[in-house]
Amino acid sequence: MGRLLLATSAGILLLFLVVSALTTTHIAPDHTPALHPSPVQDHASLRPLQDRYKVLSKQLSQLTPSQPYIVVDTARNRLYVKHQEKVMLDAIASTGSGVILDKPGEGNSQWVFDTPRGEFLVKTKLTNPTWIKPDWAFIEEGLAVPQNAAERAEQGVLGDYALGFGKGYFIHGTLYTRLLGKNVTHGCIRLNDSDLKGVYKLARVGTPIMIF
Amino acid sequence: MMKLCAILILFVFTTPSWGKELEAFPDLQLNDAQGLKEATRVLEEELKLAARPQTYVLIDLVGSTIQIKGRGIGLHQIPIIRWSGESRNELKGIHKLVARPSVVRRKIDPGAAGEQEPISLADMPTDYVLSCSPSMTIAVVPSTAGENLLRGAAILGTSWWHHVQHWASSLFTDTPSTPTPHLQLTIAVDQAQSLAWALVDGMAIVIRRPTDK
Repeated sequence: MGRLLLATSAGILLLFLVVSALTTTHIAPDHTPALHPSPVQDHASLRPLQDRYKVLSKQLSQLTPSQPYIVVDTARNRLYVKHQEKVMLDAIASTGSGVILDKPGEGNSQWVFDTPRGEFLVKTKLTNPTWIKPDWAFIEEGLAVPQNAAERAEQGVLGDYALGFGKGYFIHGTLYTRLLGKNVTHGCIRLNDSDLKGVYKLARVGTPIMIF
Repeated sequence: MMKLCAILILFVFTTPSWGKELEAFPDLQLNDAQGLKEATRVLEEELKLAARPQTYVLIDLVGSTIQIKGRGIGLHQIPIIRWSGESRNELKGIHKLVARPSVVRRKIDPGAAGEQEPISLADMPTDYVLSCSPSMTIAVVPSTAGENLLRGAAILGTSWWHHVQHWASSLFTDTPSTPTPHLQLTIAVDQAQSLAWALVDGMAIVIRRPTDK
């Protein structure tokens, strides 16, 4: 009797599952019935819809920057300088490692070494930049944070150029070219010398940088 | 000869310059009123997003793609292998991502010898649910070659659970509840990881729906 009840319950459950699945829509692209055209529409009635669609399409296309812009793919560690759809420069990069570092004496506060996502603008263009080491650069090495500001300055580690895009983030050079293509930075975007020079020449203050 | 030149010049300046390349959705049939309405709706929403300095997501169920976009520009495209969905009317509008899969981040041990292993695409989940506001859930399911019975059962299970939640909710409330709009996207495993990487909290999502048959 118990077994009969169990079998019946399993059968009902299975039936319910099948019925549930059949009520949803599954569409595979290989036999997608594309858009099912409505019955032949009067041209006059379609015209306002077509015009509106065209106007909006044009408005969207006009939002594309008219000057070169920078795209950074943090997952694949690539940087592109593009103009409209044309790729003017395709560079291998290094972006944020995503690791975290506790801030000493600040409870649960942490640094998270991500390259920020979204849209930014080139705010500064520097030549022969000097790295002013932030607190985390000392803390992660187990060193004390210096009181003297001069002890934070380090020359020759950022390459020949740097482009700042806000909150201390830069596109700059690197001594560690063997690590290009990997997520190893503290949030900045590293390039080799040649690509960095190319980006510096193509970008100007106000150039959009889109990072994803 | 002069007449020919004049005719050619007239032709060049009067021929409509608007072509397929300016169309936001090149797959759209311009004699499909419903398709046009849907495309127009999506464009109106996308324009609001593209006008601001941000990246956003366009899930195009007609073109079978997920696009990461900024300023109307496609930055990254992910093919959708198949999808299923309910409450399609509630899929319209701009949704904001409020919950996404968590990623285990490694912590630096100050002063320790050796570098900490950085995060990479391989650390991203392949199978997850995204929660959005206004209420909507998107399940991302990886495709596996020759989808096996276990995966098939999992898909049925997800759909069944959704029905159970709706049924249970209607039992215990006086007002009839509306099911949470739910979309399930099947994409390649590496693309599922790529999508998980690209998503950020608060990211805006717009969905282009196929027209009803």
